[in-house]
Amino acid sequence: MPYHQFDCSVCIPERLKHAVDKGEGEQLTDALPLGYLNTIPGTISERGCAYCGAKHVIGTPMKDVIHISHGPVGCTYDTWQTKRYISDNGCFQLKYTFASDMKEANVVFGAEKMLKKNIIEAFKAFPNIKRMTIYQTCASALIGDDINAIAEEVMEDMPDVRIFVCNSPGFAGPSQSGGHHKINLAWINQMVGTVEPEIYSKRVINYVGEYNIQGDQEIMKDYFHRMGIQVLSTFTGNGRFDDLCAMHRAHLNVLECARSAEYICDELRVRYGIPRMDIDGFGFEAISDSLLKIGYFFGIEDKARQIIKEETERWKPELDWYAARLKGKKVCLWPGGSKLWHWAHSIHAEMGVEVVSVYTKFGHQGDMEKGISRCEPGALAIDDPNELESLEAMYKLKPDIIFTGKRPGEVAKKIRVPYLNAHGYHNGPYKGYEGWVRFARDIYNAIYSPIHKLSFLDISKDEIPTDRSFATQRTFSDGILSDEIKNSTELRQCTSKYDPIPDLRVKSYKFPDPETGIEKEIPADKIARKNSGTV
Amino acid sequence: MNEKTAQERMEQLEWYITKHCLWQYNSRGWDREMQNEHILGKTKQLLCGENARKEDTYADRYYWCEAKTLVEAFKKYFPWLNEMDKKDIATVIHLLKEKMDYTMIKGSLNQELTKEKY
Repeated sequence: MPYHQFDCSVCIPERLKHAVDKGEGEQLTDALPLGYLNTIPGTISERGCAYCGAKHVIGTPMKDVIHISHGPVGCTYDTWQTKRYISDNGCFQLKYTFASDMKEANVVFGAEKMLKKNIIEAFKAFPNIKRMTIYQTCASALIGDDINAIAEEVMEDMPDVRIFVCNSPGFAGPSQSGGHHKINLAWINQMVGTVEPEIYSKRVINYVGEYNIQGDQEIMKDYFHRMGIQVLSTFTGNGRFDDLCAMHRAHLNVLECARSAEYICDELRVRYGIPRMDIDGFGFEAISDSLLKIGYFFGIEDKARQIIKEETERWKPELDWYAARLKGKKVCLWPGGSKLWHWAHSIHAEMGVEVVSVYTKFGHQGDMEKGISRCEPGALAIDDPNELESLEAMYKLKPDIIFTGKRPGEVAKKIRVPYLNAHGYHNGPYKGYEGWVRFARDIYNAIYSPIHKLSFLDISKDEIPTDRSFATQRTFSDGILSDEIKNSTELRQCTSKYDPIPDLRVKSYKFPDPETGIEKEIPADKIARKNSGTV
Repeated sequence: MNEKTAQERMEQLEWYITKHCLWQYNSRGWDREMQNEHILGKTKQLLCGENARKEDTYADRYYWCEAKTLVEAFKKYFPWLNEMDKKDIATVIHLLKEKMDYTMIKGSLNQELTKEKY
């Protein structure tokens, strides 16, 4: 597994050990890209900062909270339409964003008084929200404003509110990952253990490292609830502030994105003896294994098997319709952190695509261990690529599609490579059995969209075909398929609704009483519950 | 079972774990040692028909359910496991544990494994 030398990075020798080619028969012990290191000056990295990692990734998906940045207003830009962690309370956390709007004068004279005024003003403007998180930024950290002291003062003046302070300025780490770490530890140190929750099931989990992108959390929560498992808290997508203060009362931490949230799971295990169970919510086999594992933990594997059977029967023919048409397509799997390992094997095994490259922007070496293990020989693994390296890789590998974020995604479009948004998704949710079919459908639509065929033609020099006036996706995708597949009455295209989430929000479920074990129906409104601190 | 067969079978089990499991990747070396020890230990016990539930703690239950799921998958993917005797199974799992300890801990190039705190 030799290191990969990019032509464009010969002049930056430090970059050499950040990329490797996975060779046949080679091991992780032969070579592993460096990771989680400061970006080399001048390489035009696409990383976020530690403030972004704390606030925009982990803090803000909490739904019943005023999230305020103590800093310049520009730090708050990641709001409505740039993030897609929806919630079942009308997406309060996405619709409204708050900043103390620091300016030069505040840098000179301090901004604590202004912050206090802004906090009180925000609570008064939204009387149904009683919880707040305050995020330090580079500017407020550098001038040394004591945000914790201001928060204490406000809580004394307004006893019905609670405020969490996260001191993770932008410069507090090599990338957003530094912010993930800081907010994980701040939350467990300051908040966990301060609330006693209502327990209504004898099986209780925290669902950790799940951000409810386009409803992922709600899809998975439906499976857990069908097994009679209470999801005490979700860290943090669609999560309630007070539930997250009660994480210490769960029996098991079910962890999805270990990159962003393993720290709190590890600490909960050490401090409270709650085991950490890593799962994969993507891919039929991976979800089935995950549900079965959770089922075994609570002694309800029969319930897990029932869900696996129902969901597989319902959705597998649709996945297979797409798999037949995606077989052999080349993919660059270039998400930010955890999806390089969540997806690498499942998309190959279940959709037949070939992963020709994996990369991570802010992952650590542990993420590369997982990603490289799960992809096939021949793949190029890159840590924190700069823009020129990404372009060079795409020109060389000639992928049919890349899965990445919107910034590198737009770069790919410019060289006519279709991209799917691996962070916010195109038409998610992508988790769960239904979500995996939606993902396959989006891949199919992206690869076979006729617009890409047109975009490859340059009318100033290319010959424009005149023998074909109209083409559809099927024109391109079905040409080489066997009649058996083309005419199959068993396989079918995705039948998922435009938005499958609203139906889940009105469902009620049966849970075994914690004392008696007798099953009781809990209505949907009790499961969703009100904003923290309100009656 | 000769050495070559044992090695080949161990590699098949290792392949399954690298493609499907996540428990072996905890971020610290000491943590990985514990995971390998408990989960592969219980895997061997389950495959050999021994009692794999030692105590009624959440931690023990967790290790057991990882092993239980692994054993179920192993038997589905590798039918030869059903025909092996206990001694041979123990040999293959021993080789697997040695390989996992080397790849994930002793020979690992992951520089975070030696950090003390999470």
